[in-house]
Amino acid sequence: MNLGDRDDLDDARLRELAQRLGARAADTLDVERTAAAVLERLREAPARRRMPIWLPIAAGLVLLLGAGVVWRATHRAPAPAVAAAGYDLKTLSPDQLRQLLQVIDQPLDVDSVTADDTTWDDLTAPELRHLLAVLEG
Amino acid sequence: MSRAEPLAVQPTDAALIAAWLGGDEQAAAELVRRHARALAGFLAAAGAPEADLDDLVQETLIRAFRSLARFRGQCQFRTWLLAIGGNALKDAARRAKSRGGSQVLPLEEELQAQGGDPHEDAVAGETERRLKDGLQGLSPMQREVFLLRAQQGMDYDDIAQALGTTPGAARVHYHHAVKRLKEIVR
Repeated sequence: MNLGDRDDLDDARLRELAQRLGARAADTLDVERTAAAVLERLREAPARRRMPIWLPIAAGLVLLLGAGVVWRATHRAPAPAVAAAGYDLKTLSPDQLRQLLQVIDQPLDVDSVTADDTTWDDLTAPELRHLLAVLEG
Repeated sequence: MSRAEPLAVQPTDAALIAAWLGGDEQAAAELVRRHARALAGFLAAAGAPEADLDDLVQETLIRAFRSLARFRGQCQFRTWLLAIGGNALKDAARRAKSRGGSQVLPLEEELQAQGGDPHEDAVAGETERRLKDGLQGLSPMQREVFLLRAQQGMDYDDIAQALGTTPGAARVHYHHAVKRLKEIVR
């Protein structure tokens, strides 16, 4: 017997051994019981429908922006009426001029941006935490 | 002359899969009947503890049925199912490890009784024990390729598709596995 024959014999024996491995476990498996159990579990928890990956991300962004708009609307002080640019000051009465000066003397409200301008970068850390808290319930 | 009874035509796996996807539960049950024993044998040989075998078989089948819509027939259904079984076994081993159990799953304690001469049975049992020990010493990929090829008789193209590798790489894994196992079993 040459070496090649010996190898073939070993291969065949190895395959035979591998086929015997687990054979008893396979024989003792109750197939009908397994089938019934699998069907029951499939009925109990049917597979969730797969949704596109972008859908939850988009939904999360919409929620965050919406919450940001609500938060700003509830926390922003009412902005005073400001005279339109180019208004001729000569046409204003003394009372109107005094009112305008009071408005101009007030510090600039940096928070008074419109909802359309809201982006992630505009939110401060406390605002983001607040939004997350709102979103997480 | 009596007419022969027509042979009952067995539906193919593909037909059963299509029927299951269409809501036919009996098609799923038939797929379980066809493949559950092979799956159990594969898992047991790959190191599944006997006590956990039923659960692992069920877990594998459920994973398979839930992802059947993504099965494109790239390989035989059985090869695909056994590959899922290999993943389920690895997940179970990881869970056991995180719970503080041993990294290597315990081997099946009771070896198969061969029936016949007690001395031959003892020798055969010892050989099987060594083969099982040897299998646990292989990498997971080598072990799965070896069992799919030697135990289940799959071809390299099928094995490669199921395990996400190339037929050439599968062949190399198999030969590495055989070389190591021969040294142990001899």
